[in-house]
Order: sequence, then C-alpha cells, then structure tokens
Amino acid sequence: MSLALDVAAVPPRRRRVSRPAGDWLILTAIIVVSVAAAFPLVWMVLTSLKTPAETMQTPPVWWPATPNLDAYFKVAGVIDAGRSFLNSAIIALVTTAGILVTSLLAGFAFAKYRFRGREWLFALVLATMFLPPIVTLIPLYRMVGYLHIGGSLAGVIVPNLANAFGIFLMRQFIKGVPDELIDAARVDGASELRIVFSIVAPAVVPAIAALALFAFVYHWNSYLWPLTVLQGHTDQYPIVISLSRLLSYNRGAMNTGLVMAGATLAVLPPLVLFVLLQRFFVDSIVSTGVKG
Amino acid sequence: MAGARGDRIGATLQPSKANGGQSEPHKGPHPELVEGRGPSSGYAPVGNDAVKKGTLQLKSPSAPVLMLAPALVLLGVFVLVPTLLTLWLAFQDWSTETGFDTARFVGLDNFFAIFGPTSVGRDFKGALANTALYTALSVALLLPLSVGFGLLVYQRRVRGGVALRTILFSTYMVPMIAVALVWSKLYSPSEGPINQMLGWVGLPGSPWLSSPDTALVSIVLLNVWQQVGYFTVLAVAGLTQIPGSVYEAAAIDGARPLQRFWFITLPLLRRTLLFSAVIAIINAVQVFEPVALITQGGPVGATNVLTYHIRRVGIERSQGGLGSAMAVTLMLALIVAVVALFALARRGAEEDA
Repeated sequence: MSLALDVAAVPPRRRRVSRPAGDWLILTAIIVVSVAAAFPLVWMVLTSLKTPAETMQTPPVWWPATPNLDAYFKVAGVIDAGRSFLNSAIIALVTTAGILVTSLLAGFAFAKYRFRGREWLFALVLATMFLPPIVTLIPLYRMVGYLHIGGSLAGVIVPNLANAFGIFLMRQFIKGVPDELIDAARVDGASELRIVFSIVAPAVVPAIAALALFAFVYHWNSYLWPLTVLQGHTDQYPIVISLSRLLSYNRGAMNTGLVMAGATLAVLPPLVLFVLLQRFFVDSIVSTGVKG
Repeated sequence: MAGARGDRIGATLQPSKANGGQSEPHKGPHPELVEGRGPSSGYAPVGNDAVKKGTLQLKSPSAPVLMLAPALVLLGVFVLVPTLLTLWLAFQDWSTETGFDTARFVGLDNFFAIFGPTSVGRDFKGALANTALYTALSVALLLPLSVGFGLLVYQRRVRGGVALRTILFSTYMVPMIAVALVWSKLYSPSEGPINQMLGWVGLPGSPWLSSPDTALVSIVLLNVWQQVGYFTVLAVAGLTQIPGSVYEAAAIDGARPLQRFWFITLPLLRRTLLFSAVIAIINAVQVFEPVALITQGGPVGATNVLTYHIRRVGIERSQGGLGSAMAVTLMLALIVAVVALFALARRGAEEDA
C-alpha cells in the first residue's frame, strides 16, 4: 500500500526518475494486478481448448497438450448456438436502437427546453436509475402477460426501450451543444425533430457511441429479466441463458470444456466491442460519474 | 405562474397548457421569448453565450411534450407503474399466476410473515442478513482497491497505466453468467487452479463455494473481480480533478507521501468515493447469476441473497404478495443505507472544515 501512497503524492509528469526503486515497485504492482485481472479469462479460453480428460485432472493442467476445438463443436450439438446468438443480437440491437432514440429526444428536451416541472420530472427520471430491477420484477412479469408479449423476445425488449441513464447521459452532453447552432437551424426553417437528429446528434457522437456500447453490452449480458420472461421458451433464449443449459448437460461428467467454450463464445461480442471502442466508455463514465 | 416566467433566462419555450386543451398560437414574438432576461434562476447554461439561449420562437409549442413522450411513457409504464404495483401488492394476498384483480387486502400480514418466526420469516431474514453482509464486504473491498488501482492507472512515472485500465475494465464487460461459470471452476477445491496456487506458496486450500463458511465470501470475491475496473475508472476521474498545485504546495511544506495521500488525496476524493459507494451498494443487492447458477442459495442458505430469494418466492413459488413485501423492505433498506451514507459523508466534511 505504501507504494500506492507514494504514487499518489507525485503529480503526473513531474519528478520523473527521481526514485528508480519506487518505479520498479509501481511496475511490479501494475504487472501483478494485470495478470490477476486477466487470469480468469485466460483460464476460460485455455480450458475450452483442453481435452475432457485434461479438464478433470488433479492437480489441474494449465496448458492443453494438444489444443483442440472439439468443445466448440460440441456446444453446437447441445444448444442451438446460432439461434441463441441471433436472439441475443436481436435483443441487444433493438433495445439499443430504442434507447438511443428515446434518450436523444428526452435528453434534448431536458437540456434545451424550459417548461414547467422540468426539474421535478428530471429528478423523477434520475431516481429510477437507482431502483434495483428486482423491485419491479414481480408485477412486471404479470404485466407482460397482460400485454401478450410474455415468453417472447418482444417481452424482453419492450420494457427496456427507455432508460434513465441514457436520458441523463444525453442531457449532459447536449447541454454543451451551443444554442447558436440550434437557433441557426430554426432560422433556416428546420423542424425540432430534424434539429435533434441532424444538428444535435452529430455534435454528440462520442456520447451516442458510448451509450450504444453500454446499452448493447448491458442487454447482451442481462440475465434476470430474460430468464423471468422467457422461462421454458428455449427457442427464444439468448446465449447467456443457453449457457446455463450447457452447465446442466451431463452434469458432473466432463462438461467443463463445453461450458468454457460456450462462455468464451458469449464473452466475445461485448469484449471485442469494448476493446475497439473503449475510449468512449471511459469518457462517458468520467463525465457522468463525477461531473454529474 | 406569470411571476415565475420573469425568472427565466431567455425562456426557450412555454409548454402548451394541459388544461386549456388548445395551445396558444405563437404569432409574433412571444413576450418571454424575446430576450426576456430576468435574474438568473441559478441555472447556468452551458452554451457560449447564455444571453442568446433559445431566443427564437419555436414552430411547435408541443415539441417538448412530443420529445419527452416516448421515454416518459415507457418509463412510466415499465418502471413507475410496476414500482407502485409492488408497493400495493405488498399489502395483498396475491398469486403471481393470476390477474391483479384477484389480489385480496391483508394489511400488514405479509410483513408480519416475512419478519415472523416461521420458515418464511427465517428464510427472508437470512437473505436480508446475507445481502447486508455481502454488500458491506463488497463496498469494503471495492473502494480501497479502486483507489489503489486508480493510483496505478493515474501515475505517469511508469508506463502501463492505460494497459492496466483496459484489462481491469474489460472484466466489467464480461457477462456475469460467464464470470460465475469460470469462477466456479477456478474455485473447484481439487481441479481448480486457486487452491493449487495457494499450495505452491504453502497456504492451505479452501472449500470456497462448497462450505457455508466461505461460500458468500467467494461470491463477493468474484463480483469484486468483475466490477473493480468500473470503480477504478471512477477513482481515476476523481484523481484527475485534484489540481497538481495542491501537491506541489504540500511538497514545499515538506509533507511526506503518506501524509499527502491521507490529508490531500483522500479528502479530495470524498465526492467520488461517496458516489462509488452508492453505486456499489446498489450493484451489490442485485447479485443473482452466481447464486442462481452455481449455489442455488446454498450451502445451507449461506448464499441465499435477496434478489435470488425474492424471485424464488415471487415468481417460482408465485407468492406475489410475500415477494412484493420483501421487495418493499429491500427498497426501504436501500434508502436508509444511502441516506445514512450521505449523512456520514456530510459529517465527515464538516469535521474537516
């Protein structure tokens, strides 16, 4: 810990190389933490390449002797992986599109219009951000039945088409768009809707990218709500729920490689998206988390 | 109403009045819309020139209503209404498999049941205690780790901070279900690498998820592993806002590194840490996947946490009234925890001042 304390005390880019011993300590800490953080994912991929016998050995085998993709082919035999991926993609993409539209519109209204009850309404919207989903789960489960969308992808998607975080993020960024830009468009006769999508949206592309990624990853990964709405409708399952069927397949008998292969497949889309676009993620957390 | 209008900085628009049924036609410059500058209402516009904010008249006075409608209708129907229904159902005897019209008012019976001496009460109180412990442990681990890791990411003496941030944050992108599956294998007492590595350094292995004494902590650890990257990014954002000049002044005064951390870094991170703590608490009560998938609340109820328990009672056993009473209790507990946290932070701030 004293190492970290030392780091804190030194402003960035100052007093370089003043204490080489401290530098080595910092470097060691960075490497140790990185390895510890990456280890479970590395183990997951390695295990997916092992033979079933290797996954059962005590003490565990770290490197597969002959790495093979058998487990991945077997996944396709146990669950309809293609269908599950398609379901996940539909859920994540449609939900994300909905969130983007509703958040842009509402974010613009909260940022640029003044109307009676605005602050009160915005506070109410923000409050929903802090509500754990379990609080609404039971009545929501019955409500999708009333709406005749239970047991379907629509039941998974529709209740999530708007969210408070998206509205908040958009409002924060749209507040920074100069009013002159908007007024100029009004002078030119643009409708308000057109202003939102062709003037304001291009000005807040980083925030839109961040929100799109957050929404995609969140809804690709989400488990509790799809599990509750879809129970039993296996053909509608997203990949994260199908994974649990891998676990129960032939339980106890050498299914570890199978489960790790399925997990690796499920992890890939959000992880690849993140690595490609991590800059936007980090910026948006910084702007909503602290300046908020 | 009319008096309030003068307070607005160049009011952009007045909404059409809901009671009138017809919107005011905006012919010619509307009084408030023309450079109608009053004293500031305390709202600081972000635009370059506050004075010009929205000086032009809108074509459609109903624009804000139309723009807010999609989001607010959805949030209203799928968040506000079910929240109110949960509050109402908490006082009803109701089976989740039937319509809301079959609910029967039972007063506080559900609350007496979930806090009572029967198995319903024992299970719920156990879940409440498990969740409290789980939450406290999560916050106690996540906050210090996020500051420590944040310092490693933030420092510029050694390269590698950005790479560390990428690795830490990437775990936050991994579906919880995959995290649970992987860690259940890592934790395996005989075939898992964790006990093996403990053996290398001469430490005894642990039963991890298979013992009631260690199962909950095991789930806390896998959850901390997944989330610490997010809180690290928050901590880095907080560190970035501390001006370097403060440290320079302290260095001139001869403050040692430990003193600088304790008397400058930590106090100036208070807002960030408070925000992190609130988010960590709200995340912690949502833990579900590892419990549902790996432990099913066991062994011996040691990992029976509220989100899992409420779903089991309210959905799987269809005891909607009981489940709703539990959900309301959770909501109240959360409110109390967050208010207490803010009070604590405020008192700390006053002591510093």
